[in-house]
Amino acid sequence: MEREVILSVKDLNVKFSLRGKVLHAIRGISLDLYKGESLAIVGESGSGKSVFCKNFIGLLDKNGWVDSGTIEYKDMDLAKFKKDKEWSKIRGKEIAMVMQDPMTSLNPLKTIGWQIEEAFRLHQDLKGEAAKNKAIEILADVGIPDPARRYGQYPHEFSGGMRQRVVIAIAMACNPRILICDEPTTALDVTIQAQILNLIKDLKDKYDLTTIYITHDLGVVANVADRIAVMYAGDIVEIGTCDEVFYNPKHPYTWALLSSLPQLGVKGEDLYAIKGTPPNLFHPIRGDAFAARNPQALKIDFEHRPPYFEVSPTHKARTWLLDPRAPKVDPPAIIQNIRNIKRGGVENG
Amino acid sequence: MITIVIILFVLFAMLKVMPIEGYFSNFDKLSQAAIDRGLRELGVRDPLYVQVGRFVKNLFQGDLGISHRYMENKPIKDIIAPKVMVSLRFGVISMLVSLPLGMILGVIMALNKGGIFDKLGNAYIVVIQAVPNAIYFLLIQVYGAQLLHCSMLWREGQAITMILPILSLALPSISSYGMWLRRYMVDETNKDYIKLARAKGVPNATIWFRHVFRNSVVPMVQLIPGSLLMTISGSIYVESLYSIPGMGGLLVDVIKRQDNSMVHALTLIFAVLGILGLLLGDIAMTLVDPRISFSKKGGSR
Repeated sequence: MEREVILSVKDLNVKFSLRGKVLHAIRGISLDLYKGESLAIVGESGSGKSVFCKNFIGLLDKNGWVDSGTIEYKDMDLAKFKKDKEWSKIRGKEIAMVMQDPMTSLNPLKTIGWQIEEAFRLHQDLKGEAAKNKAIEILADVGIPDPARRYGQYPHEFSGGMRQRVVIAIAMACNPRILICDEPTTALDVTIQAQILNLIKDLKDKYDLTTIYITHDLGVVANVADRIAVMYAGDIVEIGTCDEVFYNPKHPYTWALLSSLPQLGVKGEDLYAIKGTPPNLFHPIRGDAFAARNPQALKIDFEHRPPYFEVSPTHKARTWLLDPRAPKVDPPAIIQNIRNIKRGGVENG
Repeated sequence: MITIVIILFVLFAMLKVMPIEGYFSNFDKLSQAAIDRGLRELGVRDPLYVQVGRFVKNLFQGDLGISHRYMENKPIKDIIAPKVMVSLRFGVISMLVSLPLGMILGVIMALNKGGIFDKLGNAYIVVIQAVPNAIYFLLIQVYGAQLLHCSMLWREGQAITMILPILSLALPSISSYGMWLRRYMVDETNKDYIKLARAKGVPNATIWFRHVFRNSVVPMVQLIPGSLLMTISGSIYVESLYSIPGMGGLLVDVIKRQDNSMVHALTLIFAVLGILGLLLGDIAMTLVDPRISFSKKGGSR
């Protein structure tokens, strides 16, 4: 089944200049985002998952730039966009973003209603009473009780979960095609996390959205994602459907990531932790970026960067282990149990 | 209120331990009896609570007391009133000049962060704050007067002679307003809600004006009433340079001369102004910042 590609990234390279040195943050990522899907990008802190997605709405920090590659969206190449004016066609209107921390992502001096209407004024030319009604409608949509009263309140009068709903309402106010959720539940109470995830899921169905989740919480992923892209050191090392990545992971980094799920821990034993630190992106990386931390690394992992090996039409991984000449290495035993866990514990993790 | 009472008690207690010689101009020639009589008349021999009580009682009748040594037997009100008006005039005008200029400086520096204007502004601020102001005040007075072809001293009714003292008063304020506003604005730009506003598609100029500037002014609003009121106390240095008959240095002067009733009156005025400034600042904050309110509202958390 050929699905419609809504956003297509080709060989994207992003660099940052930091204290006079150049950091290669995104190292040649290619990715097709399908219309209506929900893609999760997972990886540890500093793997470049946020930086990667910020390229889609032109919010890279000032010291960063797209070195090469293209981001195609509706016959436009977003990688070429420089000016605010060009981005104004995309930001909010086509691609919107929900940030991590709802406590700080609202302007403390403006009412909730004003902040939602700001988006209307910009993108839909909606003003006055009509805008107000629409804002109240959206507040109701994201599950805020008594929206007419809440409309006139300030952010400090809302709890964290409610604020995240407001942030989502603001993102939805522009009626975007793609919604990027940058760790939408990290700053929230565990009990609220599931609610917010369900809310995003409902909105996705209702408005036919394409969603990208950026997260390091595989529990979140298991719940919401159709596809998973695993990022490590500025590169996607494995990508596949949710089931493929969970049940049939191929890349040693994915193994390590899954092994460190707290739900897999055995009482009385230490949790699995990945040894070492991610590579320094100031220096060029030789071979497989994960090789240094990989106990099963092959000699070639230190010499040549592995290409993508296709496991199935939807599943590919960048590891020499998939080369026919490679010795057979089994994934760690611990992640064999994942099937039981995913149905139970991880569900609302 | 309590604060003021405490200040008064501390003040009277401290004045009690002043050397008694200072109360008389011809101490050496006076007999012990005359000294005792003089001190009793001044009331410094009375217990603390009696002194404070008397002062407060007179205060409620609108009487600040009578000067003994600064200007003999003249009501303090009549001494201070014209001086306050002079200092206030200079202070308010210099503030009207420095506040907008300081804000413009801050905005330009924040917008141009790391650029040439930011660096120039920083240089200005550092120079003004680090160089003792006596130096540039003198330079302004000497060269400014030449440039404007006017008198080096202030003359009532000659508007042109006001320019230099006001410039001297404004320069440091401009630098500090600029410094704070820049700092607050840079702080705001790094906040998440600015990122969200960007992600929402708000154009840059709008973000700067509607979100960053507006929110950065809030912490400054609190300081404005206070600094406005404190201009009443005048500036010692500027006023003496241009021989402006203002309040500057008056307190130091009367303490040196041990004119107790003047010290009482001035301290009280400054204390009240200080407190009033803080209070007005807080009230102003509640007007611009919805998070702050005096009345306790039931939150909905």
